[in-house]
Parts: sequence; structure tokens; C-alpha cells
Amino acid sequence: MSSESSKKRKPKVIRSEGVPAEGKRNRGDTEQEGKYYSEEAEVDLRDPGRDYELYKYTCQELQRLMAEIQDLKSRGGKDMAVEIEERRIQSCVHFMTLKKLNRLAHIRLKKGRDQTHEAKQKVDAYHLQLQNLLYEVMHLQKEITKCLEFKSKHEEIDLVSLEEFYQEAPADISKAEVTMGDSHQQTLARLDWELEQRKRLAEKYRESLSNKEKILKEIEVKKEYLSSLQPRLNSIMQASLPVQEYLFMPFDQAHKQYETARHLPPPLYVLFVQATAYGQACDKTLSVAIEGSVDEAKALFKPPEDSQDDESDSDAEEEQTTKRRRPTLGVQLDDKRKEMLKRHPLSVMLDLKCKDESVLHLTFYYLMNLNIMTVKAKVTTAMELITPISAGDLLSPDSVMSCLYPGDHGKKTPNPANQYQFDKVGILTLRDYVLDLGHPYLWVQKLGGLHFPKEQPQHTVIADHSLSASHMETTMKLLKTRVQSRLALHKQFASLEHGIVPVTSDCQYLCPAKVVSRLVKWVTMAHEDYMELHFTKDIVEAGLAEDTNLYYMALIERGTAKLQAAVVLNPGYSSIPPVFQLCLNWKGEKTNNNDDNIRAMESEVNVCYKELCGARPGHQLLTNQLQRLCVLLDVYLETESHDDSVEGPKEFPQEKMCLRLFRGPSRVKPFKYNHPQGFFSHR
Amino acid sequence: MERTVPHAVPLGQVEVFQALERLHMTVFSQSVSPCGKFLAAGNNYGQIAIFSLSAALSSEAKEESKKPVVTFQAHDGPVYSMVSTDRQLLSAGDGEVKAWLWAEILKKGSKELWRRQPPYRTSLEVPEINALLLVPKENSLILAGGDCQLHTMDLETGAFTRALRGHTDYIHCLALRERSPEVLSGGEDGAVRLWDLRMAKEVQTIEVYKHEECSRPHNGRWIGCLATDSDWMVCGGGPALTLWHLRSSTPTTIFPMRAPQKHVTFYQDLVLTAAGNSCRVDVFTNLGYRAFSLSF
Repeated sequence: MSSESSKKRKPKVIRSEGVPAEGKRNRGDTEQEGKYYSEEAEVDLRDPGRDYELYKYTCQELQRLMAEIQDLKSRGGKDMAVEIEERRIQSCVHFMTLKKLNRLAHIRLKKGRDQTHEAKQKVDAYHLQLQNLLYEVMHLQKEITKCLEFKSKHEEIDLVSLEEFYQEAPADISKAEVTMGDSHQQTLARLDWELEQRKRLAEKYRESLSNKEKILKEIEVKKEYLSSLQPRLNSIMQASLPVQEYLFMPFDQAHKQYETARHLPPPLYVLFVQATAYGQACDKTLSVAIEGSVDEAKALFKPPEDSQDDESDSDAEEEQTTKRRRPTLGVQLDDKRKEMLKRHPLSVMLDLKCKDESVLHLTFYYLMNLNIMTVKAKVTTAMELITPISAGDLLSPDSVMSCLYPGDHGKKTPNPANQYQFDKVGILTLRDYVLDLGHPYLWVQKLGGLHFPKEQPQHTVIADHSLSASHMETTMKLLKTRVQSRLALHKQFASLEHGIVPVTSDCQYLCPAKVVSRLVKWVTMAHEDYMELHFTKDIVEAGLAEDTNLYYMALIERGTAKLQAAVVLNPGYSSIPPVFQLCLNWKGEKTNNNDDNIRAMESEVNVCYKELCGARPGHQLLTNQLQRLCVLLDVYLETESHDDSVEGPKEFPQEKMCLRLFRGPSRVKPFKYNHPQGFFSHR
Repeated sequence: MERTVPHAVPLGQVEVFQALERLHMTVFSQSVSPCGKFLAAGNNYGQIAIFSLSAALSSEAKEESKKPVVTFQAHDGPVYSMVSTDRQLLSAGDGEVKAWLWAEILKKGSKELWRRQPPYRTSLEVPEINALLLVPKENSLILAGGDCQLHTMDLETGAFTRALRGHTDYIHCLALRERSPEVLSGGEDGAVRLWDLRMAKEVQTIEVYKHEECSRPHNGRWIGCLATDSDWMVCGGGPALTLWHLRSSTPTTIFPMRAPQKHVTFYQDLVLTAAGNSCRVDVFTNLGYRAFSLSF
């Protein structure tokens, strides 16, 4: 304590004193050093509890002394000063003690702090160590997980399956004995094999690429070669022209026709192409040619297309008004009509040769504004034909092609859009113009590839080759059959008008040799007259009597009996049979209404016509039917039972051999002729 | 513009032929099914058509209801007569009788149950069978036709038991007199003969054409149709349609009809007749009133 305070005081004193103090200080330092250490050691020796007691006692003493000093001072007196001094010295001592104690306390405190500090430092060090270790642990764990998660690239490769691997890999790679047991080695071996395979494939790929390059180059070379060929061929063709002419091979002529064909309107072009193809492929009797002026066809395209009638009409009108007085409305309308019905300048002509040297000439036209085709037909025969009166209509150009297909009468335009065009110019129907323009039959449109569907009228109809091709063969065959049947009928009519039924020798077996009834008349009849007859009502009601059919009246007689036969001849003869309706005048008028036998006779010729067709193509049907009718009349008259109430012999003695005269509830006569026995029986 | 044509559909070869067939078709026979709902009709082409009467007579009948439900080729020749038993339809035409099951007949492609041909004397021509008659008491069928005989056939065994001869020309029609089992037959020879089935003999002959009141020589002497009501008989054909009293064999009433009658039947004291020759079967719902026609 005292050293401490002396420590403190001494420097102050020294400073004020100066030099001698330094020396003392040095000594003081070493003394202090010695004292410092001994006080440090003293602290360890003294008991802090006793020091605390001492402190408390010293404080008490000080208090006591101060109180005594106080007392003494208050009492006053001189001897007091010595006691006060004593007490002062005691209290100074006590102060010293206190200071020491204070020092000791400080030292203890410091020690305590130092110890705490040390301990703390240790703890910190351990803590740090712990943290370091934990950190390291964590780090290691992360590393471990990383390692565990590590996927080697080799797992992403799709390796071949084990079995394949062992099968395919060569032994030095697969090393079966080693790899079977060790999966690591196995994987390595597989990777090896994979690498091996990839190298090989890469090699192959390079080779293929180079091959491809080579081939491309070759192709280039050949292409160039071919393209250089074309001009050479052309020059050869040119050179060969004189040779063609010399040898009469008309390739050029066909070529010229194709050139002309380029100017044909599409439907005529389709017809031309299809007909030429058909003619070359299937039918040598068909020949095709193009007629008309090519220049006019070319001229059609120079000015703006005048297929719109409004435009052309207004142009035409303007021209007329500038040049002369406005013409009358009728003439204008007429011009408009002519314009609408205008034909394309080119037309296609087809010639069909039939076996008997007769030729059917068909000329096809195209009406540009109406987008339909028409045809005009003409039949020429090898020899001049004398037309019998009744055969007038058979070969007339107007009707020879009528109803080639059922219902195709060719009097109406097949294009529904035309009706609106007609309304504009006041044309009622095309029928008035067909004589001039030709007939717009449906089969003609089909041959030109034009299709006008009824259900969905189309805006523009374009020519279609496949439609034409699908109809060509059938139509050509039908045309030929039609011509031949008409010519056959023509010949037959010539004979019928003279009262002779011309039965050909191969059809003689259909009727007995002796036929007494005779055909006395054969004339044509008008459609209206047929409808007026009283015994034809059934046929009319059944819809079999149309205005496209041809009608005839035949009269067969024997003795007093007269049999009228009204004949409906369908244009489709002979595939569609003629239909007969009979009226017998003998002892009263008998028709199918009042006599079952007349019905049976009609049935014999109408329903059983197939027996009477004769050899194909069956053009003899009509004459056979007529002959059969004569025979039927014979049978009817001869088998008529004798009426007992009337006197006199039978007019017609029975000469025909019949098994029975009547049969069945309807009691019909035996009309069926049996060849070759020659007797009559019932069906 | 264009004159409208009655039939706008163009007729090809097939349609023309079908129309011609129909125009020349004759329906010779008909029979009602046991249940009463169907009518079978046979024509001269040998076809049988089955019509549904219930559909045709119903209030909602359309054009299609008057067409056959099924048509099939039954015989080679015409089907001259048909009768129905309680399960079968029997049809006869050129020389043989065939049986069809009513239950099966509506299915297409049904086949005949059996066919029988009576023993004919001549072999030159197969005679037709014009009339069939069922005798319920004996369960037998009587056939008569072109060979001038009546043949009896037992329906169970199919054996031909009797052949009754007497007619000099072919037989048109048969009728059954139920009380005493007698059969009446009328033929081309102009006679109506009565036969006793048990004794298999002819018991009475009426030669209609010899009676002046009813004979019409210009038509001939043939008897086309017969109907009997045990005491009375109606017959017609060449001679006029006459009502006879059988026991006394005298004609009592002559019906004033011009055309020769083809079919006649008694119905509840009324007489219904038909003289048709077309492809239509006329249906009479009231006497004298033709309601409509069924058409092949």
C-alpha cells in the first residue's frame, strides 16, 4: 500500500526535484519490482476473507479515531494535539492499511480477471477447434455425398444388353472369365466394346458419305448427257422428214392434227384425245378428224374474251349506234340470240365404219357461250338406199341418235345454267334450234368430259378426261348397234310395205311352214294417233308410249277376219322389244279387254319376245314377231269352237295340230308352237 | 315449254320388260292365311305373292302396303288354284300340287314342304289342276283338272285314294256339299256332276246348257264357277249365272250378268262374284262397291 502510494508520489516528487529522483526511481523500480513480485506472492498467501475482516476493522477504527479526533477537537485543549496527532498517525496507518488492502483487492481482481481471461481463452480455443472440426466434418460429408452422387458419364451411354455383349464382343474384349465375376471389369469391358463399335461405325459412315458424293457426281454427269440429247433428237427428226414422205408413214400428219387440236376448246379436245386413243387401241374402224378454220379459232383469243354476252352485246350495240340508225328491238334480240348460240369454229368429226360398209358420220360442235356440245349425225351406206315411206324417220339425222341411252332425247339443253341465259334473250327452248346446231345429247356431253350434276349445280363445269374415257367404249358400241339396227329395220320395212314378212332363213324354225294369214298393210302412225286408239290405253297408262318412240300400224287378214296391230317401236330396238296391241274384227270386235285369247296372243309376242330374237344381235325381232302374229291368228281362227246356234260350216277348218283346244280357267287356245314336232300346245 | 310426259323416269330394258309382264299378268287364285292377316295370290307366271291384309286395310295404309310382302316362284306353269289348311298353303298348277308352311312362307327363300302328282293316264301332256277342295271330315284334298278326273289325296299319308271319272272334258271347279259328303264338279263339257265320296260314285248330273233359260250358246257350254249351300247351288260360265235347287235339279233364278263369271262364292246369304283378268285382285268390302285393288 505504502509502496503503491510511494510509487505514485515519487514520480511526482521526482519531477519536481529533478535528477536525484531518477536514481531513486531506478532503485525504486527495482525495489518496486521486488515489491511487486512479493505483493503478488503475498496475495496468494493471504486469505481474502481475513482481509475483508481487516478492512471492516480498519474502517471501524478509522471511524472511531475520527470520532475521537472529532471529540478532542471539539473539546479543545493542548494535550489534545498530541492525542489528536496520535490518533492521526493511527488513522494514517489505518489509511495505509486500507490502501494495501485496496491494492491487494486490485491485485486479486486482476488475478481473477487474468484467470478468467485465460480460461476463456482456452474455452475459445476449444470452441474454435470444435468449430473447425465440425466444419471439417461437414465438408467431408459434402464431399462424401458428392462422391456418392457422382454419375460417371459412362452410365449415360446406352450400352448393348449383356447377352448381346457376350455374344458379339470378341473374346479379348469381353474377357468372360474376368468380367463375369467382377461388375466393374464388366462395365469397363462393355465400354471398351462400345468404343470399338463406335469407331467401326464412324468408319462406315465416312465411307458411305464418300460413296454418296461419288454417285451424285455420276448423276450430274448423266443429266448433262441427257439434256444434250434433246437437241440432237430434234435434228434427227428434222432429217427424217424426207424419209417419212418417201415411205408414206404419216407421223407428221398426225402431228399436224395434234397441232390443230391445241386450238380446240377443252370439251372438244377431250373428245378428240379420247376418241383417237380409243380408235388406236380398241377399234380400227373409228377415224377422227378436225374440221374448221384454225385462224378463226386463233382470232377468238386476240380481243378480250367475248364469252360474256353482256359485254359483247354492249360492244355490238355501241358499234351499231355509231354507224347507223338504231335497229329495231327484234333485230337486236335476234343478234343476241345468234351470239349466244354461237359455235366454236372448229369441230371434231368421227367416222364409224360398220361391217356392211355403211358409215356413221358424227360431227361434234361446241357452243361456246352455253358450254355444251352438240352432234349432227349422218348415215351413208355402200349402196344407194331407196327409202320406203314408213322408214322415213329411221335414218333421219334428227332421230337416228335419239334415246341412245334411255331418256336421252336431246331436245333440251343439259346445262341447267343455260336457262337463265335463255331467259335474257327470249329463247324458250333449244329444241327450236337443234336442226341447225345439232342435238345436245347427254352422251355427247359425257364424251366431252362435261358433267352437269342435277343435285349440285356447279358454277363452272370443266372438261374431264376420265369421264370421257369411261363412256367411250359403251357409247361407240351402242352407236354401231344403233346404226345396224336401223339399217336392218330399213330393209325390213321395204319388204313389209309390200306385204311380205321377211323372215331370215335361220329364223324359219320359229313358225310352221304354212302360214295362211297375210300382212296387207304396214304404215307409220303419229304419236297422237296412237294415244287416241281405244285398244292401246293400257300401254299408254304404263308409260310405254312416249313421244320419242316410233309408231306403226300393221293389218293382218285372213278371210273375213281382220287383225289390227298397233306397234310401239322404241329407239332402243332391238334390246327393247316392240310392243304390240291387237284388235280383232271377226264376229264382233275383240280386244284384250273382252277376250282372254287376244291377251294371250299379245303376251306371246310381247312377253315371250326373247324366243323371237333370232341370232345376235337380234335385229330380226320385229319380222319374227309379225310372222308369229300371223300364225297366232291362224290358230285363233281355226280353233274357234263352233257355235251351235248358227247355221253353216266353220269358216276356217282346223288344220293345225293341237293337243287340246282349251286349258285352264281362262280357257285359252294353244298358242305355243313346238318345233320341230310342229304341234301347238299351251304355255 | 316442254310437254310433260306421264312417266318422267326413262325406261330401260329391264323396266320395259317388267311393265310388259305386269300388263299381261293374270291372277288365277288366292287364299287367306289361317290367322287372317295375309293373302296369298297366284298368277299365270307361276309366282305366288303374299300381301299383308292388316297393313293394306289399316287407316295408315300407303302405296307400299299394297305391294307384296314377299314374292317367290312357286311353279313352272300358272298357279291355277290355292287353298289353305290350318297350317299350310296348298298351291296347284301344271300337274302337281305343292304345300308351303304359312309360318315359313314370309321368310324369303322358303322351300315347299312337299309336292305330289296324281297318277295321270296320259303322258303326252301334263294336265293342269284347276281346282283344289279340302274335305275336313276326311282330312283329304280333292284335285281336279285337265285329265277330266277327280283325284282324292289323303293329307296325312299323301296317297291318292280315289279317282272319280265321268266328265268328258276337263274340270273347271269344285264345291263341297257338307251335309251329305258330296262333291260337285263343273267342267268344260257343260255338266255339273255330284259325287258321293263314300261310295265313290256319281249320283247326279245337271247339264246346264240344255236348259234354255240359262244357256248362252254363243259363249259356249262350259261351267266356270260353282258354289253350293247344301240345298242350293249357283253356277255360271258360258251359260248365265243361275241359282239351282239341287234336289229337284231346277233352275230358279238367273242373274243378269253379261260377262262369263270366273269366281263365285256364297257369303252369309249374299253372292260375291268376280270376272277379272288383270294383275289386280279387287277387294270388295261392301256388296257392289269395290274399295281398292291389291296389285302384283
